[in-house]
Amino acid sequence: MKIHSKSTVKRNPRKRAGKYAITIATSALVLSACGSSSTSSSSASTSASGTSGGITTINWWASPLGGAGDRQKLITAFEAANPNIKIKLISAPTNTDTNRAQLITQISGGATTPDVFMGDVIWPAQFGAHGLALPLSKYLPASYFAKFAPGLVSGASYKGQVYGSPLFSDQGFLYYRKDLLAKANLPVPTTWPQLESEAVTLVKDGLVQNGFVWEGNSYEGLTCNFMEYLASAGGTVVNSGYSASTINSAAGLKALTFMRSLITSGASPASVTTMQEPQAESTFVAGNSAFLRNWTYAWADSQNPATSKVVGKVGVAPLPTFPGQSGPGYSNIGGWNLYVNPHTKHLQADLTFLKWMSGTAAQTTLGNLSFIPTVESVRQAFASSTTAPPPLQIAAKTKLVPRPSGTPNYAAVSQAIYANVNAALSGSTSVASALSTASSQMNSALGGGL
Amino acid sequence: MVATETKVTEATPTSKAASKKLRDRNQILLARLGWRFTTPSLLVVGLVTIFPISFSVILSLSNVTLSGNGFSLGGFTFNNFSILIHSSEWRYALAFTIFYTIVSVLVEVILGTMIALLMERLSGGRGPMMALLLLPWSIITVISAELWQYIFQGSYGVMQQIFSAVGLGKPVFLGSPTPAIISMMIADIWKTTPFVAVIVLAGLVMLPGDVFEAAAVDGCSGWVMFWKITFPLLRPTIAIAVLFRILQAFGIFDLPFVLTGGGPGTSTTSLAILGYKAMFQNLQFGPGSAVAVSATGLVLIGCLSFLKVFKSQVNSGE
Repeated sequence: MKIHSKSTVKRNPRKRAGKYAITIATSALVLSACGSSSTSSSSASTSASGTSGGITTINWWASPLGGAGDRQKLITAFEAANPNIKIKLISAPTNTDTNRAQLITQISGGATTPDVFMGDVIWPAQFGAHGLALPLSKYLPASYFAKFAPGLVSGASYKGQVYGSPLFSDQGFLYYRKDLLAKANLPVPTTWPQLESEAVTLVKDGLVQNGFVWEGNSYEGLTCNFMEYLASAGGTVVNSGYSASTINSAAGLKALTFMRSLITSGASPASVTTMQEPQAESTFVAGNSAFLRNWTYAWADSQNPATSKVVGKVGVAPLPTFPGQSGPGYSNIGGWNLYVNPHTKHLQADLTFLKWMSGTAAQTTLGNLSFIPTVESVRQAFASSTTAPPPLQIAAKTKLVPRPSGTPNYAAVSQAIYANVNAALSGSTSVASALSTASSQMNSALGGGL
Repeated sequence: MVATETKVTEATPTSKAASKKLRDRNQILLARLGWRFTTPSLLVVGLVTIFPISFSVILSLSNVTLSGNGFSLGGFTFNNFSILIHSSEWRYALAFTIFYTIVSVLVEVILGTMIALLMERLSGGRGPMMALLLLPWSIITVISAELWQYIFQGSYGVMQQIFSAVGLGKPVFLGSPTPAIISMMIADIWKTTPFVAVIVLAGLVMLPGDVFEAAAVDGCSGWVMFWKITFPLLRPTIAIAVLFRILQAFGIFDLPFVLTGGGPGTSTTSLAILGYKAMFQNLQFGPGSAVAVSATGLVLIGCLSFLKVFKSQVNSGE
């Protein structure tokens, strides 16, 4: 009987239409809520800043630094120095490409948050060209940018505007096992062929499973590794006007032939073509490799007894070069900048945060966490301190090479480099044909192609 | 509600025609109720599938520029498709995607049908077996791809240990193109064969038993029975399984994204990976959308022609 009474309700067309309208309205509401989630969260933060006694809350998008709580340490110190500004940390993905994809989706969609985001040093051209980051040089005086170490500000610029405030710098280092070299009575290598022969010797003598591990996978990190060999061989990848590739040269051939020979000679395991930073580092800290090419943080990781079996046995040196070149070899520049969302509603607070993060206190905190400070004076203080983490002492003695990130099409240029270099490393194509394919793909990328 | 209602109608002594009428009306009411419940989700599905598909078609035919304020479309152009046709990466990704789809779907259908035939003969324990079989399929691809990466890992991977134990050296599976493509296919076949098996099993269980009895009386061997009776009758079911699999395999993204990142080189870069790179790494939304549209168009043509061929086969079999 219940059913019947219900069915009469259902059959009333006006009421039915009404119910449909309600369902449609509800789903529309749900949808609109999905679409504007970022806006609503930002409006919430705006109202928070407006009400409680002039306290502004800004959202900081940052991927994890070193250990857990490092970002919070900086935030706590900042908030203590600036009681009128609260920082809300948004933990960004650790994968740089995923990180960028999420940022681009949010900012191009008009989201007002995150207000400040930590981004890779290779992003300024792409973000600047597409209006996804605020040109900081319009809001900060030239004196603000004068304090940074040479090269960092030009690396953060695109078409005359500075888009990123350098937060911490990074570069490639050679990590080696002091104990193994002592056992085999070998010196710390200063040239690439020397490193190769020492690695082969150590493996042949059965002292260690692998000689030299680095980042040979088909991804951005391989572009970094390749740039180091190429620069030490005297080569470049693009011309100064970013109009044509220069990778297919004698230097390119020398660099890539050597990289491939690391694998064929047995100095590096074949699996190096599948390694990214974590795999290379874990091989080294497990005691399974004599040499490692990695970034600054690998020092701290290698000295952490919880995860490392080689605590106290590791030495750090600048990367080697090729014979006939003045040493040391080139290290690729990495690191992270702080960028400001062009849609931010709290520009003054954002700039205050940027200034504090490039101040002596924050930069010293980062240095103590074994990140290379970007502010020249702080960097020099660490370089001359004997108690500073070794990479920070050595950093001042290295030569640096940037990636060709001055073009908005850098991502496609880099893909052309790493995919073809990786193919040559795995032996699926010859070194010469890899370079010629890379060259033509880079030219197409520079022209805005796929 | 339905149960109560049937009890009521059965308990009431009415004529057969009247009870049928009542049941029909209730069917209509239930259908209406169903529509009402599904309207919100249908609307959502429409908005999240039909809108993005049309929008990417528009993007692929426009001069797209991305700015801090979203896309701006600068007029109609075929330039994005011309970029594709002249791009060796796109041609490779297309060839790879087609090759990968054909091989993995073929193997999955053969294995899945064999498993289904076996399962159908299981008298007891079919339930637990089914549950066990469905485990790989129920694991999210991102997770299973991570598991396979451990298996195929180049310095401590399980597969390498097995190869080295039987004296086959220490191959790096994900380090060169052919082994990497095979590894990726194995991971996919492991995951989706159960899906095919379950669909085919459902079809097998529905087959009429009398045909098989008659064939047995006529002295047909198992082999003949399979090819002359089971397979022709199963064709529509297999067709559905194949269709579903082609649609999924052609758009493969998660497996290569996690397992190989599209490498070594670009050897496992599917159309979906290429489109992702173009759009979200290079910010080339025009050419990137063209990649997506080309994949959608091709899979649509492929499926429609497959259905057409299949239909005529079914008709000729009757």
